[in-house]
Amino acid sequence: MIDSTVRKALEEVVGPENVSTDPAILDTYAFQWCGELENLKKGREPSRFLDRPEAVVLPSNTEEIQAIVRICNRFKLKFKAHSTGLGPWAAVSGPGVILMDLRRMNRIIKIDEKNMYAIIEPYVTGAQLQAEVMKKGLNCHMPGAGPNVSPLASSTSLGGIGFTSVYTGYSPRNLLAVEWVLPSGEILRLGSLSTNSGWFSGDGPGPSLRGIMRGYMGAMGGLGVFTKCAVKLYPWPSSASWEIEGVSPNYEFCVPKWWRLYIINYPDWENCENALYRIAEAEVGVMVMRESGTPSLAVTFSHSIEEMANLIFSLGTIVKKYIVVLIAANSQREFDYQTKVMEEIIRKTGGEDLVSTGVFKPPSISYAEAIRNMLGQHAFIATSSFQSTFGMADTIRAALSVAGAAEKIKLKYIDKGVIADDGGEASWGSFIEHGHFMHMETPTVYDVTKSESCKGMVDYMNECYERNLEDNLGIPFFVVGDREHERWGPRCSNYHLWLRKIKEAFDPNNISDSGWYISPGSKKSSSTKEV
Amino acid sequence: MAIALALLKRRLEYTNELLNVIYRCSACGGCNVSCNYMFGLEPLEVIMELRNKCVEDGFGPMPKHREWPDYIREKHNPYNEDHEKRIAWMQGSIEWDENSDLVYFVGCTPSYRRVEIARETARILNYLDIKFKILYPNEYCCGSPLLKTGQKKEAIELMKQNVKFFKNAGVKKILTSCAGCYHMFKVEYPKNLGTKFEVLHTAEFLDNLRREGKLRFEKSVNLIVTYHDPCHLGRLGEPYIPWEGELVEVIPGVTMPIPPKPVRYGSNGIYEVPRNLLKSIPGIKLVEMERIREYAWCCGAGGGVKAAFPDFALWAASKRIEEAKSTGAEAIVSCCPFCSTNFKDAITATGEKMAFYDLTELVVKAMGG
Repeated sequence: MIDSTVRKALEEVVGPENVSTDPAILDTYAFQWCGELENLKKGREPSRFLDRPEAVVLPSNTEEIQAIVRICNRFKLKFKAHSTGLGPWAAVSGPGVILMDLRRMNRIIKIDEKNMYAIIEPYVTGAQLQAEVMKKGLNCHMPGAGPNVSPLASSTSLGGIGFTSVYTGYSPRNLLAVEWVLPSGEILRLGSLSTNSGWFSGDGPGPSLRGIMRGYMGAMGGLGVFTKCAVKLYPWPSSASWEIEGVSPNYEFCVPKWWRLYIINYPDWENCENALYRIAEAEVGVMVMRESGTPSLAVTFSHSIEEMANLIFSLGTIVKKYIVVLIAANSQREFDYQTKVMEEIIRKTGGEDLVSTGVFKPPSISYAEAIRNMLGQHAFIATSSFQSTFGMADTIRAALSVAGAAEKIKLKYIDKGVIADDGGEASWGSFIEHGHFMHMETPTVYDVTKSESCKGMVDYMNECYERNLEDNLGIPFFVVGDREHERWGPRCSNYHLWLRKIKEAFDPNNISDSGWYISPGSKKSSSTKEV
Repeated sequence: MAIALALLKRRLEYTNELLNVIYRCSACGGCNVSCNYMFGLEPLEVIMELRNKCVEDGFGPMPKHREWPDYIREKHNPYNEDHEKRIAWMQGSIEWDENSDLVYFVGCTPSYRRVEIARETARILNYLDIKFKILYPNEYCCGSPLLKTGQKKEAIELMKQNVKFFKNAGVKKILTSCAGCYHMFKVEYPKNLGTKFEVLHTAEFLDNLRREGKLRFEKSVNLIVTYHDPCHLGRLGEPYIPWEGELVEVIPGVTMPIPPKPVRYGSNGIYEVPRNLLKSIPGIKLVEMERIREYAWCCGAGGGVKAAFPDFALWAASKRIEEAKSTGAEAIVSCCPFCSTNFKDAITATGEKMAFYDLTELVVKAMGG
């Protein structure tokens, strides 16, 4: 708990109504999705509650954030920035940290229609941004975590592959100019912003430090606070006016003309892979994803646990390895072209489109959910608890290797009865930038209410990590914190030593919560000579 | 949800701020609408249980709410008004028939605070020569203020007393012009006591009469209006369907309720009926706000908020008034005496040029006053 001097100092910056040290308020920030897994990794009970912050402060602008950071430096207190917050890394990583909740900074500052970018604050959500940019015939990238997530946080501080990544890329690649409050309290402006040239570029004129600032998975609050950024926008072929009929839970989306959804089923990986390469070459679709197995299809396209179970039982083992492609074209001509391309690919690769053959009719609302990046949230339908393993972005071949490796490990833990039985198959992959590379992860459902299930999930995740290392399957999701970086760094060009140098250079007082990033290290480990 | 779990896990001690958080919710059920979709989660149930726990542990409800059990026990209403004044709204001009099997359950707020609603409802019934009776002196508070603030024990006692009154009076059909009473009789009484009375809100009753041709509108009411869905008539007015079953592991690691549990999505509340009535009044132009039906923004008065946090209640209403203004409406129309009070207070406090009418008031105008 902070003392009265610190509290008074914080209150002078943001007003007493925007500072809280009440445990009831603090616990709402400690409660995080997958907190139980992180607690188990730290040898604690599998509670969803992580550490409480010492205080929560709600700044409303960059100047207030600078003032808070300076107070933290003065009183030797750590701070952690928090925006929409999803996952353990949204919480403080240990005791002695003040959490800055950025929810008051929720403005879309500008949408530059001509140059196709938007300037946003930390608490602007994907849904908020998309609704506004679609009015101008544009679309934005949203991570698969859903439309409730902050594009700024995803771009500056984490990663984020989404359902439309085939044409909207992924969060780190969409980042343009950035306003960054460093752990010292100073402001650093990156890209074109640093030379007063506007927000259009992350790489200049001016310093380009995106690699330093975020690296592969972002610093997750370990390098200061990102207060504004510009993100790329993309052309949107359809109307901003989404016509939804019906009432909950029976919504019907009036699928716009020139839209079509394919679910192309293959009996094996070989033909599925062949089709993926062809789709990538053809550069069609606004969503291209690959899944496998009936449970995976059932959970993606159902809207209740009953619907999901019914689909699993009714489809049986029909569904094998499948590719989902959504086409949304600008014109009849483009639509005709893309559908012809798809039909040719299906024919040549021996696939079966489950939609056109009537085997499975996806609900119309799923089309809208695809574009809204809502399909990922379906993973919570089965037990309210899931987490992904692996999680890499590489070539199509590498991505499929991951999916294959994951199946074997998953089956072992299904047999142990600690994770839900999805036949071992459920994995999700998405094309990034027209299949020039591909993301693959393996969502796995467990039961947060059962200790043995949580413990089994941690063991399963560890085994997946080991397989990543042994089989060179890339760096997975959530390599966060010292322990994981020490584990992976020596196998990956000692990157962790460089990461530590960055932390030491930008945060000499170690004031920005480094628990989800990397801590300043000893002289030995920080020596670049050993790299 | 996090706070409820933290309290259950004994991570939290009771503090003023904890109680403020728990009781600053107007229990509007908007959270249920969002979380029931796909996930079958019912946060409102958790909030209500949290309030019950606060009271059981001796920390809740808020000071203002603590006055209510005594008021209701002694005077049968939460306003501490004399029971004899419960029928003062009639002003001797309303006729009722003790032999009718239709009971008009007036409710405390229309009886004491929004008497125009009670009066106009009764005038319409009298004008249309529809026989009804009222239960006075055996009309007591429906129990909503107690139940919604976690004073469940007292609420259930009161509800049981009311059921006795209904049975003694041979009640089969209850008509009410209060959305709060409607929710209680439609949902909470069946859920907690298993009652099966037919319950109708005035809006439903009048629209039935309109469709049967018994209610006709002769006069034009030239007004641009927007309709505010009361939470207790809308998303919380959806009928309660009992369920008995168990959680079964249908797939290894995945359990679900068997038989499937009926989910109250909030979509089956009373939404069309008041709109149909408004649209049938000559001269009325109905314009819609952005957030309507199951997604309506709460007026801010419910769940004991108006009593314990009046400023917050006014703020919520003022936001809704802003939204109403953006439609070009001259008046907000609703069907809830509690919304009525809060909107009228907010209009006064903000100085907005916005009128408020209960639906019955416009019906009377259209009938020729």
